[in-house]
Amino acid sequence: MTLIEVANLKKSFGTNEVLKKISFSMNKNEVVAMIGPSGSGKSTLLRSLINLEQIDGGSISIGNEYLVKDGVYVKPDGIKKVTGRMGMVFQHFNLFPHLTVKQNLEMAPKLLNLQSAQEIENHAKDLLDKVGLTEKAESYPSSLSGGQKQRVAIARALMLNPDILLFDEPTSALDPELTGEVLKVMKDLAEESMTMIVVTHEMGFAREVANRVVFMDGGEIVESNSPEEFFSNPQHDRTKLFLKKNLK
Amino acid sequence: MVEYWNKIIWPMLEGAQMTVLLFFIAIIVSIPLGFLLTLAVKSSFKPLSWLAHGYITIMRGTPLLLQLLLICFGLPMLPIVGEYLVFDRFVAACIGFVLNYAAYFAEIFRGGLLAIDKGQYEAAQVLGLSKWQTTTRVILPQMFRVALPAVANESITLIKDTALLYAVAVPELLHFAQTAVNREFTIVPYFIAGVIYLIMTLILTIIFKQLERRYKFE
Repeated sequence: MTLIEVANLKKSFGTNEVLKKISFSMNKNEVVAMIGPSGSGKSTLLRSLINLEQIDGGSISIGNEYLVKDGVYVKPDGIKKVTGRMGMVFQHFNLFPHLTVKQNLEMAPKLLNLQSAQEIENHAKDLLDKVGLTEKAESYPSSLSGGQKQRVAIARALMLNPDILLFDEPTSALDPELTGEVLKVMKDLAEESMTMIVVTHEMGFAREVANRVVFMDGGEIVESNSPEEFFSNPQHDRTKLFLKKNLK
Repeated sequence: MVEYWNKIIWPMLEGAQMTVLLFFIAIIVSIPLGFLLTLAVKSSFKPLSWLAHGYITIMRGTPLLLQLLLICFGLPMLPIVGEYLVFDRFVAACIGFVLNYAAYFAEIFRGGLLAIDKGQYEAAQVLGLSKWQTTTRVILPQMFRVALPAVANESITLIKDTALLYAVAVPELLHFAQTAVNREFTIVPYFIAGVIYLIMTLILTIIFKQLERRYKFE
């Protein structure tokens, strides 16, 4: 079942064309790893899906609902409804520094009146347990390590029960020894059939966890394949060159 | 000793009441007003932004004393409208302080907003928060935290600036000190005034240090 459908997406920053008529679709329960050199447009594509970037042309739909149709955005409440089906995890965590871990998790569902206070609290407890940070519930983000912060950020995104989770280079800001704990949480999510798009430089993660690897370069999707095929039998020269540089 | 107390210190403490009253009025009104100015400066409606910018430039770029003199003595001299602009001296002084300090606070808050990472807005957006919720729950608490040391600094300056009331003949602390110096022919009242100012600023310093500790988020 197709969950995300992107057609002819165009996006420029000034005269710099970052996404050149991109078309892309993915199914429910799929885990897609997006890789490519920096400046290839992969983060911009991800951010466009959740309306953090305004696109200049093309269509994006989630489920059967449009976010943008032929370059025209739907009405604000439609945008909210579509983007509300997605959660996002950022490279720099973007936790709220003035709130405790628990408050970070509970703020959005409370403000959006999604559940009762008791349900929200239980949900937060469960998710903190899931990411292994129960004992940090009352801590402020400033006292956490990068890996812990990112795990809190994942839990916070899960609080809204998204159908899709978007990860924008979730381990790029972490010390190498801390990436493992975050990747572990993501792997667990993949095993629970969460639909995920992960923009990453972690080739190991792409190979082991993803169902599909999408390689972007110069604002285009160059190659899209299963991890086995992608890593052992790359089709394009640009892919081969990239892999040669990044797989030692 | 009792006589000294009655003739010098007591009037000075009464004068200090005026100082404290002006301080509270100025702080309580100019902080929200300053915040509104910050919002006006950041407004996407350009004329409003320019107006706020111009206001801040003028109020920060000219002496507070000049502004006070203008409000107390200048406005009533205007043709036609002047007679409607005669205020009680203390009220006039309050208006002057509020208008002036609002401009400073506006700049302090603007600095606080600049310190907030764009990622905070993005996180709030993807979590489905409305603009209002983002401002009140995410941005403002962080902005005030960043602005706190500068607000403390400005508040201490405000305490000392109340001495400018002397120039528009509102009887405050310094006024009574000067009267006592002239009458008793001793400079001791100056020192007493200094100590009273110092006590007031020390109390403020302690309060703000407590606030900073409380809002450390650690």
